[in-house]
Amino acid sequence: MIAVIRPGGRFTDNLDGAAAAVRAPPAPMAIAAPRLERLALRCLSIADTIANRLYQQRFNPLYQSGTIVVALYVVLLVTGLWLLLFYRIGAPWESVARLTADPWTGNWVRGIHRYASDLAVAATALHAIRMFAQGRSWGPRTLAWISGSILLLLIFACGWTGYVMVWDTFGYHLAREGARLLDVLPVLSEPTSRAFTGEQPLPTAFFFLNLFAHIGIPLAMALLFWLHIRRVARPRMLPPKPLTWTIVALLAAAAILVPLPISPKADPLTLPEQVRGDLFFAFWLPAVRHGVAVAWVTALGLAAVLLAVPAFARRWRTRSAPSTVDESLCTGCVQCSLDCPYGAITMMERAGPAPLVARVDPALCVSCGICAGSCAPMGVGPPGRTGRDQMARARPFMSDPGRRAGEVVVIACEHGAAAHQAALHGAGGTVYAVGCAGSVHTSVIELMLRGGAGGVLILACPPRDCWHREGPRWLVERVYHAREAELQARVDRARVRIDYAGPGERARALEAVRAFAADLRALGPPADAGAASDPSCALTPAEVER
Amino acid sequence: MTLLDRAAGLALAIAALGATMWLSNAPITVHASPEAMLRLAWSALPERVERCRQRSESELAALPPHMRQPFACEGTSAQYRLAVTIQGAGSWEQTVQGGGLRHDRRLYVMRELVMPAGEVLIDVRFDRVDGSGVQPASPGDTRNGRPGAETIPAHLELRQRLHVPPRAVVLVTYSPEQRALVTIRSPGSAQ
Repeated sequence: MIAVIRPGGRFTDNLDGAAAAVRAPPAPMAIAAPRLERLALRCLSIADTIANRLYQQRFNPLYQSGTIVVALYVVLLVTGLWLLLFYRIGAPWESVARLTADPWTGNWVRGIHRYASDLAVAATALHAIRMFAQGRSWGPRTLAWISGSILLLLIFACGWTGYVMVWDTFGYHLAREGARLLDVLPVLSEPTSRAFTGEQPLPTAFFFLNLFAHIGIPLAMALLFWLHIRRVARPRMLPPKPLTWTIVALLAAAAILVPLPISPKADPLTLPEQVRGDLFFAFWLPAVRHGVAVAWVTALGLAAVLLAVPAFARRWRTRSAPSTVDESLCTGCVQCSLDCPYGAITMMERAGPAPLVARVDPALCVSCGICAGSCAPMGVGPPGRTGRDQMARARPFMSDPGRRAGEVVVIACEHGAAAHQAALHGAGGTVYAVGCAGSVHTSVIELMLRGGAGGVLILACPPRDCWHREGPRWLVERVYHAREAELQARVDRARVRIDYAGPGERARALEAVRAFAADLRALGPPADAGAASDPSCALTPAEVER
Repeated sequence: MTLLDRAAGLALAIAALGATMWLSNAPITVHASPEAMLRLAWSALPERVERCRQRSESELAALPPHMRQPFACEGTSAQYRLAVTIQGAGSWEQTVQGGGLRHDRRLYVMRELVMPAGEVLIDVRFDRVDGSGVQPASPGDTRNGRPGAETIPAHLELRQRLHVPPRAVVLVTYSPEQRALVTIRSPGSAQ
């Protein structure tokens, strides 16, 4: 077992550093990107802390950016279908103007449609930043990153067609500038810009094609979204209902209280000084003013950087070894395959005492270690982080002469509360950092209690912000609801507590430690404190199996 | 979670939505300058410049029956020089060729030039520049076995004095019916 002590002095069971493979020589991008990643993580942490305070962890919209996009997609579909009933390709501006003039049947729906599309852009960008900052953009998550990037581009394309549909001054401007961008491509024999010169009225076929694209792109997005979530098990599609309905209510209130105006009809033969436009979809317009080449270089550069993130991330990160299965220990109980958040474990038939055996697909495994916490006989997990390895690591931790009898051991997720090790120690807790709280085997908790800890407080990341998706969920199930591999009934649940704290929630983490320590004092010393304080009494894997 | 936190949360949500609404309908400057614009936009077939000779009886007899065209033609499509002068000064020129790799497709003119508002004298010339001395195929010409297509004339000129309001666009285009360059303006700005 390799115990890694990071410069901060805390233990960690994440062997990323120890398992460092041969790294490629640093490229400029590989130097700048980790800094960017750290900066993004720090900013997110601050924003999360504020949002957690104002909305509680469960309803923190920043944690729900991905599911919020899905909810907004549904809102856009519903409102879009309604608006479609009133749209006429033969008289696009006139039909939208009629809709705008009727506050009951249309304009507020149009407002919701537009604001929902804007929020979808913002939420998608936020989701991408979070995935990048948390290092969830490469390795087995490459498919999700690439498909997500393309989804973002499709959202822009869909918005572009939506504004062109209205055919007001802004729509004309978008169409015109978009055509100028297309004209530099050597594939078109006739410049598309000519369609917008005002020489002839635009044919109805143009608006039909545009409408077709506006409807077709979201359908393509649905297909791509299926790819996006294909490698995750049990994807959460929507935010909690109260948050979903709050967002819808806010959108509706905004659309009703501030009716959406419509700009004048497009006139190719006048040059308006200003147009009222949507910067979420038209942020690129100023670049076109500097030249089509500048706009193309900027757009292609940004797209290339976005799509190249997984390739660059590979250069500055080291992929931990995927989980392995000790087939001699596997009982074929299927629990690890049920718990794996990425569907990386499947059960195969075999000849032997157990009819099934677990198999890990290394291409899908992100080495989160959650399977290690799910396996009662401790036969599965990333190398060095199986249940047995965790026990072997916890024993010296508990037998450390510096341990105080009856102290609070804080099992802290290294992506969250472990950042406040010194402060937690000051509050009376001894931090035992783990890669993911959901990977902790319940036998480790029992071992700590039997090893002399007054109580074990597990400070996991907020459930909606688990870097490995389902760690806190399975942890609660194993400790309180007898999910395999459950915390044994003999363990006093009053001495075990699970709480959640993000990396910026120092005060919350300290409060949790103080409150737990106070409750433990009220409980008095453990019933078997004398025997349990002897580390040699700690559980062995064989005992756990019994 | 205190009442103050709830109020602050609601205020933050409303502020975020307000920012979204503003960004969703923000003023975007697209033409800061009050000047007008001269837009040149047309499409037409370039003239076909080719040398044709009549095939002899023996040549025709040597060809497979389905290839016995009476004329053998070789040639290319004409090139044109587009020259624009505004207010008698500031001339702008461009050579225009047909589209496609062999320049035998339709030619496209698409150019926008800024011009001052007010009284403006525009002079647009579109002249064939091939100096081969070969006459182009004319409409109805069947020397090469094909009817001549409707091509753009070898010389076009538009000289016009206009009153152009600020931010107006004057579109100059080719009218196949009139076989001449014409101007098109927004109904509100034409005077």
